[in-house]
Order: sequence, then structure tokens, then C-alpha cells
Amino acid sequence: MPENRSIDPASVDALKKAKAENIETVWDRYDAMQPQCGFGELGICCRICNMGPCRIDPFGEGPQEGVCGANADTIVARNLARMIAAGAAAHSDHGRDVANTLILAAEGKTDAYKVKDIQKLRRIAEEYGINTSGKDDSKIALEVGKAALVEFGQQEGELKFAKRAPQKRQELWRKLGIMPRGIDREIVEMMHRTTMGVDNDYKNIIGQGMRTSLTDGWGGSMIATELQDILFGSPKPIRANVNMGNLREDEVNIIVHGHEPTLSDVVVAASRDPELLELAKKYGAKGINLGGICCTASEILMRHGIPVTGNFLQQELAVITGAVDLMMVDVQCIMPSLSNITKCYHTKLVTTSPKCKIPNVTHVEFHEEKAYETAKEILRMGIENFKNRKKNAIQIPSNTKGFIAGFTAETAFNILGGRYRSTYRPLNDAIISGRLRGAAGVVGCCNPNIKHDWAHLTMIKELIKNDVLVVTTGCSAIAAAKVGLLDPEEGKRFAGRGLQEICEAVGIPPVLHLGSCVDNSRILIVLSNVVKEGGLGDDLSDLPVAGAAPEWMSEKAVAIGFYVVASGVFTIFGTPQPVLGSKNVTRYLCDDLEKIVGGKYAFEADPVKAARLMIEHMNKKRAALKLAPVMYEEGSLKKEKVAISA
Amino acid sequence: MTDKKQKKGVKIFCDITKCLGCKACELACAVEHSKAKELALSIKEKPTPKKRRKVSGVEDKIMSFGCQHCEEAPCVAACMSSAMYKDPVTGETKHDKDKCVGCWMCIMVCPFSAIIQDVTDKVAMKCDLCPDNEDYACVAACPTNALFSGTPEEFKRRVEEKSSPAALKRTKIKSGV
Amino acid sequence: MRYCIIGGSAAGTSACEMIRGIDKKADITLITDEKFALYSRCLLSYLLAGSINEDKLKFKEKDFFERNKIEALLGVRVEKIDSKKRELGLSNKKKVTFDRLLIATGARPKEMGIPGEDKKGVFALRTIEDARGILNRSNKGVKRVAILGGGLIGMRDAYALGHKGFDIKVIVKSGQILSQMMEKEGAEIIEAHIKKFGVDVMKGLAATEILGKDEVSGIILDNGNKLDCELVIVGKGVAPNIELAKDIGLATKEGIIADDYLAASQDGIWTAGDVCEAKDLVTGEKTVNALWPCAVEQGRVAALNMAGKKTKYEGSQSMNSLDLFGLSTISIGVTKPKGAGYEILTSKTENSYKRLVIKGDILWGMTLVGKVENAGVYGILIRNKINISDYKKILLRDDFNYAKILPLIKKEAQKFCKPEFQDILLTY
Repeated sequence: MPENRSIDPASVDALKKAKAENIETVWDRYDAMQPQCGFGELGICCRICNMGPCRIDPFGEGPQEGVCGANADTIVARNLARMIAAGAAAHSDHGRDVANTLILAAEGKTDAYKVKDIQKLRRIAEEYGINTSGKDDSKIALEVGKAALVEFGQQEGELKFAKRAPQKRQELWRKLGIMPRGIDREIVEMMHRTTMGVDNDYKNIIGQGMRTSLTDGWGGSMIATELQDILFGSPKPIRANVNMGNLREDEVNIIVHGHEPTLSDVVVAASRDPELLELAKKYGAKGINLGGICCTASEILMRHGIPVTGNFLQQELAVITGAVDLMMVDVQCIMPSLSNITKCYHTKLVTTSPKCKIPNVTHVEFHEEKAYETAKEILRMGIENFKNRKKNAIQIPSNTKGFIAGFTAETAFNILGGRYRSTYRPLNDAIISGRLRGAAGVVGCCNPNIKHDWAHLTMIKELIKNDVLVVTTGCSAIAAAKVGLLDPEEGKRFAGRGLQEICEAVGIPPVLHLGSCVDNSRILIVLSNVVKEGGLGDDLSDLPVAGAAPEWMSEKAVAIGFYVVASGVFTIFGTPQPVLGSKNVTRYLCDDLEKIVGGKYAFEADPVKAARLMIEHMNKKRAALKLAPVMYEEGSLKKEKVAISA
Repeated sequence: MTDKKQKKGVKIFCDITKCLGCKACELACAVEHSKAKELALSIKEKPTPKKRRKVSGVEDKIMSFGCQHCEEAPCVAACMSSAMYKDPVTGETKHDKDKCVGCWMCIMVCPFSAIIQDVTDKVAMKCDLCPDNEDYACVAACPTNALFSGTPEEFKRRVEEKSSPAALKRTKIKSGV
Repeated sequence: MRYCIIGGSAAGTSACEMIRGIDKKADITLITDEKFALYSRCLLSYLLAGSINEDKLKFKEKDFFERNKIEALLGVRVEKIDSKKRELGLSNKKKVTFDRLLIATGARPKEMGIPGEDKKGVFALRTIEDARGILNRSNKGVKRVAILGGGLIGMRDAYALGHKGFDIKVIVKSGQILSQMMEKEGAEIIEAHIKKFGVDVMKGLAATEILGKDEVSGIILDNGNKLDCELVIVGKGVAPNIELAKDIGLATKEGIIADDYLAASQDGIWTAGDVCEAKDLVTGEKTVNALWPCAVEQGRVAALNMAGKKTKYEGSQSMNSLDLFGLSTISIGVTKPKGAGYEILTSKTENSYKRLVIKGDILWGMTLVGKVENAGVYGILIRNKINISDYKKILLRDDFNYAKILPLIKKEAQKFCKPEFQDILLTY
């Protein structure tokens, strides 16, 4: 039943259409896959060497060790560590590509890109220890790009951005031997250590897992974020619209889907090219309408205000509206099913990255050197496809919502200080005084194993009701936008009194959209800045903050979870990571780690219970910091429960 | 045929508290009923070997099921070509493919979803208790001993003796149902 | 004890077997007017289709009568029952006495009652003789066949001959085929499917006359049109053979009325099979459910009672299975409810269809087209009148199977007395 799948009415509508038209979606495939293998779910299936595959009997009757002798602890830890490595690799490889683009732009090998945020360029150059005096922007950009690339191949030493963390945190990482040395190195070492017959101590494996994850959060992802700001401009608060109602019946609808802004940013420019607009008119369309899905959407949203069509689980649904003339994809979270679904409609699917091809799908390979031409070529294909629309197969949901995006570590909290006094002081003061209880990052994917958007929204509402400022990214942010939580006026209604006061005073929504999933690194910067501002302890683990990925599905989410935990933050995953087959590893993650890195995990699929755990954690941290009691505790809790039911 | 296979009333049972849904039994069943009797080769066979067991969710638990070889088998009564019959010695419900015409009367009356349509030959198909194998392929493949071969009395005894540890709680919230 | 059984098909033979199982010493006589014994009538369409040969029609071993020590009188018709003398008058002028009698005389095809029905080339597929006749004729270069009636029999005949590449027209009076078995939506899927195999259904029409001198050359339809054909198959359903029973004053309606123990209205006489009008499980009313599985079951139960083991007949369940050119259809229970208060749930894809008939939170009937592998699971819910109020959506789902109803079995365990159900509940 479509109503059980999603709480987003637009998605439900599209699902009904899919059902009527006999189109199989991710939910149908999920159902067909039931029941899913318990060994995989528990993490106790090992396929690492050819003596296997091996499985541990969780009931204790069958084998307790694999052929090599690895027990459940080793197997679970190795599998998990490889997920971290894959997730970190994805974010970092993205970061590497941005660095390459910056270099190409600096060398003048492409005219589609140039440095847009010179201030940030200089700031980063300084951080990298590059002497900027007397150098022009492109020279600096070239050196910054090259310095960033060094971070990937570096063998010894420490990642530059890791020094952004509070001093105490850096000391801890060094002491534990998890200070990341080089991005590629840690990922490679992780793969080495988890191959057959190497690391069999689950604690040691998870230690390297954390180091690998830190190369993501404080390395690859952060490089991606910062260099994207330099190349495409640092986002500023911007108004935009979300959901499938943004598809246009009378315009050529082009969807960009995936994770990188490199091509899509140029597509935005090309979509305004008079030649193409003329062509669109020739084909009977009033214009070219761009929309985004997943993190590519967030990238062009926060820099250009391009509407967001939907999040991860809506990629098929967008096609099912029958109104998408072309969908171009880059990398990550692209369902291979799009190939078949687009064939059921007139939609043209185009892959663009040499890293991501799908059989029987048109591939127009993107290279920075001729980015604009490629963008135009793809757009032209979309325009020419407009005529193939099946008029009676089009059904665009009416739902759309306005919201504000484009907050960053620089803009979001400086706003709190006002235009002329941009500082984190007011944020710290709000927490210290108890007007705010704390802050939470609610991030991550969506997953058909939980009602689409439901866990994100239920959790966020529970948090803001209790005066917790929420920052969000990626698919979680899109979920929040769809119901108005990212709109200052609408969102405010759901907030507790203390948070409401702040929203009213500064005109921000209670939930701040910080960007794509690599932009989770912005959250790390925010937290470090808060510590630096003073009054809330001297390490990230002292802060009354927590993180959550209530509907996670990707390996990238595991990498993010680990760098957040390793940075000292309590983190909740909705459905558990595949670790429950080992009691030791589970206890290590959900308990022991707190004593070691200050952060730990909890797995809680009920979003209200999860939010409560986060709130308790903040209360605990507030007590430890001897902060004033939360200002509106009573009032906040008495407020009627905002009802979103499963 | 081993002595084990001559015993009366033996069939396959599933201890639902122990099934993890790995579908190893399904795979083993299909392989057992292939020509090659080996996974890597059998998956290339045409027609593809078919499994006679199924793993399915039961609310928050999972079970593996197949023919129950009922004492009073409705499929035997319903069969108009006497392709379904009871083995007088073992009590097994047997199926003679050569006699079967694919009328699906057996499917119509089987309450256990145990009979499958072999669309290639247009005949019914079900658990035959692995006549070519000393063992029962699904039971042998089960990594948690959820599957058990024996008489109903033996199964009952086993369940009573080994009060198995509380069934693992499924942690994922399953959507849909 | 002397047992006589009139009729040698499903009910008659299963009764013989059961009596012999209980009473090793009994004298058992089976009388049938067919010469070719122990063949399965339902397989005739498969014989016609060429998927089996005559050997395969046998549903019992060749030595069935010897092994069970049954005196079988084949090709002999019972002409009269003398219920006082406990004696049967036979067509060979002999007489046979009995202590206990089972009337399992079956049914015969209904006639059309139109001119020309006696011409050569007009058949109803009920006996092996009919099948041989049709085959014989079809070997003589016949190409065009008209099948009168779009019910189960008509459709099975259409499949059998369609399979052989004949040009087939099915003449159906109502607006759909299989109107007894299911409603229109499901029938349309089947109709579209068989059309692909050369079976053309002409709806809203009936034959008024069969043309030809000696042999069939065509038919006249009630719209006045003429249809050329060399073979006519009448598939208008069957009528129970109740004449013998009527003669001695047994209670009859459509069939011979049977009580809860399948006894007829006079002492010492039981009835089973297509001639028997017994309780229907779902509706509770007396009905003739002319089905192979019912006949076997009734034969067994009647025999138990005849041999002194008092056994209540649970009732027959109306159901049917049909496979036409690879498209399977199974229906069970009430599929075309009359009256108010029924809830109908359907789901449909390109080549499958599911329809559930629910009343008062109980499943009364269902139709499956395409995907039928879980039909019997619905059957057990219907048969046991299980409360399915929370399971409607699950019942309709594609992944429905036996496992999904375990919670229901657990909840109403007393209704599932088969030991196999109890075994499964041990760990659930």
C-alpha cells in the first residue's frame, strides 16, 4: 500500500501511479527480497577469502569460527571496517575530483570554472601553509589544489584539516594512534588489515576503522566541501522550492542526480543559454526547468536556488511522473533500476562519469576541459526528447514547499551574531543560558526498510520541540524541507519556546540545511568553532550535541557515523549497523567507545525514543559542564506532541 | 537408498525460532534437483533447477517450508491421474511426473503452499525427500539447525528437549505489512 | 455383508477401496455401464489434446479389482433397483443382491435441445467413447470446430483442440466465458490469453440449429448468421443421473439428496460423486459439487458409513482449477456472491488477477488467475471460516503464502486439527 511506504503525499501519489502502471519500484523489490538473510543482517557472514564463505551460528549450536578460525567478533569488525573504507573512499574520491577540477581551472585548461570565493581560497591557502603574497588567484588556486591532492597520497604526518579540531581532540587521536596520516593510505591499510589472516583483534580493527573514517570527515569530505566553496562559491542563505510539484508540464524537465556539483553547476549555466532556450521553444516547451535529486540537488540548490525534486527514494518516482525529459546522473546512490524504469517512460537517462556506467544507458562522458559543451549536449538531448512525452502518462504531484537552504559554518552561526557582529558567541550563550538545550545533526539516507521520511521528521520534530537546534544535510534535509521545517515561519511552530525565541530574533528556521552529505564536514567545523568560542568545555565530546542517521542505508553513512563518534559525539543509527552477531563488537560500539573517544553509538529504530536518548545525552553533558538548567523545560514538554504517526 | 530413508513418517520440519532466512535451504534444494548437483554448474542449466522449499517471513519471524507429507494428503485425494500417491512403506507423499497432466488440482487443495508449477514440463513439483541423496539437502545446508528431518514424534521431542534460546529479535522494521 | 456400488469412476472406486480397507471379508460388486474401466474422466481433454495416451487415463493400477477382490461388472447397466428385495436388475438380465448400496451414477452432458443434435460430428466430451469419436473425426482433416458453451467443459475442450491447431469458435450465450466459475474481470484476462492461441470467443450468441446432411457442416446462430464447421462440441454442463433413484422414490432435487453421513433417504442406500447433492461447506446449503476431489472424498466417507464407521461428511467445497495454454486459474468457494454485505478485494497485473470475496471478516471465496501456487492456502481459510479481518491486505499481496497465515492458524488452532498444523505450531 503506497500510504505505508512514505509519509510524503507526492511520493504516495507517484507510487499509486506506479502501481496502476505496473511499474516496479524500490519498495516492490524490497518486498520481494523478504525475508533478508539474517547472517548478513547480523554481520556474521564472511566472504573475505576462498576457504569460505563462512557463517557463524548466532544460536551457538553450529560453527562459532570460520574456516580460518575467525570468530564472530573478527568477522563483524572486518565487515564493518570495510564498509567504513568504502564510504570514506566514496566521499574522498569525490574530494579528489574537486581538487583536480580546481587545478584544471587554475591552469586555464577549462573556462567553465573559475575561483568564485577568493576569500576562502586565501584562507585555505594559509591553512595549507602556502605563501600567498604576491601571487595571483590562479597561482594560489593551483597550489591549493596541489596541496589538497597531497593529502590523499601523503604517507606520514597528519591531515591538515584535522588540525581544525580542538587541541585536546587532536592529542587524543595521537594518543590512540588514530590520527589520520593520509587519506588513501588509511583506506588502503584498512583493506589490508581486514584481508584474511591480518588483524583479528576487533578493537584494533575498529581503531583503524575510526582512523579511516577521520580521513573522510576531516579529510576527503572536508576537502570536497571547502574546494567546492572556492570553485562554485560559498553558499549563502537562499530561498528555493522542494518536491515533485516543481516539475513543469510545459517546460523541458531535466533532473540532475548523484553527488557532485562539477557538471551540474555548469548545466545550470547552460540551461540559461539563449541558443538552448530557443531550441526548447522550437520543440514547444516554454523553457528549461532543472531539478535535483540527492546531493547533486543540494549542491546546485544552495548555490543557485535550483528546486529539489526529491531525495534518494524519489529518484524512481520522479521518472514515474512521466514528466522528466532527461535525467543525468554522476556518481553514488544511483539505482541501476533507473535504466529499466526510464525505458517504461519517455525519459532519457544519461550517465556522465567514467566511474559510473549502466548497461544500455546513454553515456556522455564528462571532462572538465569541455564541460560547457557536454552540458549543452546533454541538455539538447533532453530538449529534443520533450516531443516524445506521452501526454496521458503525465501526472505531476501538486506538492511543493518553500524553504531556506545555504547555511554553512560561516553563515549559519554568524547570523546569530547579526550582520555586524558575526561570531559564534550568541550560539554559545544560548546554550549556556539554557535557551537552547543543545544541537543535533540529523542526516543520512532514506531506506525502504522504514517509512520514507517518517523517521527523519519524527526525530527532528521531537528534537526541536525540546529546544534542540537541528542541523541537517543530504536526504534528511530534503525530507525536512518537504514539510516546512526549513521554512522560518512554518518550522518555528514545531519548535520549543527557547528555540522559537532564537528563530524569531534572527529569522532562521529551527532546522538548518547545511548542504550535501560531504557537507557533514561543515558540522565538524561548526562544533570546533563552538569549542573555540569558549564556555562549553575544551573538547568536542564536552558539547551537549548528538548526531543521528535515522533512515540510513549507504556505506557512506557508516563512514560518517564513525567520524562523528571518533570526534567525540554520541550518534544514533536507526536500524542497527550489521554488528549484532557479535556481542563484543556491539558492546564496544554502544558502550566502551565512550570511555575511549568520548562518542559512542546507539541503535534505535524508533525515532522518538532515539530523540529522547539524544536529549538525555545533552542533559548529561549540560550537567557535566554545570550549565544553567534548560530555560523552558516544563513548557517545552507540556506542549502538545506533534503527531506524525507511522 | 539408505535405512534412514526407509523409516516411516520422516519429513522435514522447521524450528521457526532458529530460522535466519539465509535461504541456504532453497539454494541446496534447487541444486539437489539439478542435473549437475553442483551449485556453479546447476545455475547454468536450462531449464533452471527449481527449489521445492520456500523461505518466507511470518510477521517478525522467518520460516522455511515445503511439503508436509500429510498423513491424510489432500493432494493425493484430489489427483485425478493418481500422479500423487502415498508410499505404502514410508508414508511419503510421492509424485509421479509421468502421470501428472498439470491440472493443478493438488495446488488447489494444498494448504501448505508446498506444490509448485513446473512450467517447463507443465507438471506439479514438490519436496521428494531427496531420493538421490543419503541426506536431505535442505537439512544438511541449514547453518543453524533450524531444519530437522525426522518423524513428528522426534521433532516434538527435540523441541521439548532443546528449548532453544529465545528467537533472535529481528531488528529491522519491515515496511509494507 | 454384500456391498454394491453403481458407478465406476472417482466416487465408486474410492468407496470400494475404503470398504475393502475396513472389511476384509465383504463381498463387493461394482457395476458400471462403461466397458473401459478405471479411467479418469477429467483427463479426457488431455487425451484429446494429445498430451497423454489412453494408457495414462487410468487412475488406478490395472489389477485394482483383483487386488481389492472386487467383482466388477463392466459394460453393464443397472436398470432397476428393488429396494424391498435388495436386488438390482441389470441390463444383461441378471440380478444382483445387496445389503448396502452406493449410488454413484455420476452425471451426463446436458443436451442442447436444438435440431440437428444427432448428426455425425456432434459430441459432448464425457466418456472415452466421445473422446475417441472426436479424435477419429479430427484425424479426417477437420479444421473448424464450434464449441457450444463457454463453461469449464467448453473451455477445456477448446484448449484441447486449440492445442492441436484447430480453428475454434466458442459460442457463449452470456457476456463472458466461465460465468459459473468467476466474474467478468478475471474471465476477460483468460479470454484475451486464449485468443492468442486461436480460440475465438463469440459472446451473446447461441446456436439454434446444427446444419448438415448426415454430417455436421455448420451451425445457425440466434442472430441468423451461419457458421461453417465440421465438428460441434456441446459443452453445456452436466445433469446428475438420478433416474434410478427417482424410480424408487429417493429424495432428489438436482441430485440425490444426501444427509450429513451421505445416506440417501432410504435405509441401506448411500450416494456419492457427481450425482450426490450434499452439504456445501461454505454456504451450508445442499449442492451438487461435481468435482473430482469431492467425488473421491464423498466415496470415502460414504464407504466409511456403509462399513459401519459413522463418519460425518464435512461438506463439499466448490472449487475448480483450469489451465489454458499455460494460464492457470483456480477458484474456490463463493466467487459470484448474490446479496448484500460482501466485500470484494481485487488486485491485478498484466497477466495475473486475484479476487477475494469477504463477508463478516471471513473469506467466502476467491479467484486466482495466473499465479495460483497458493490457492490451497486461501482454500483452508475459506473451509475453516477463519477471521481474516486484520489480514485482508496480506491476503491480497503478491508474496502471500502459507507462512503468512501462521498467526491465524495459531489463533484458531482448534479449527486446524490436521496433525501437520499442530507440528508447525510447536515452534511458533
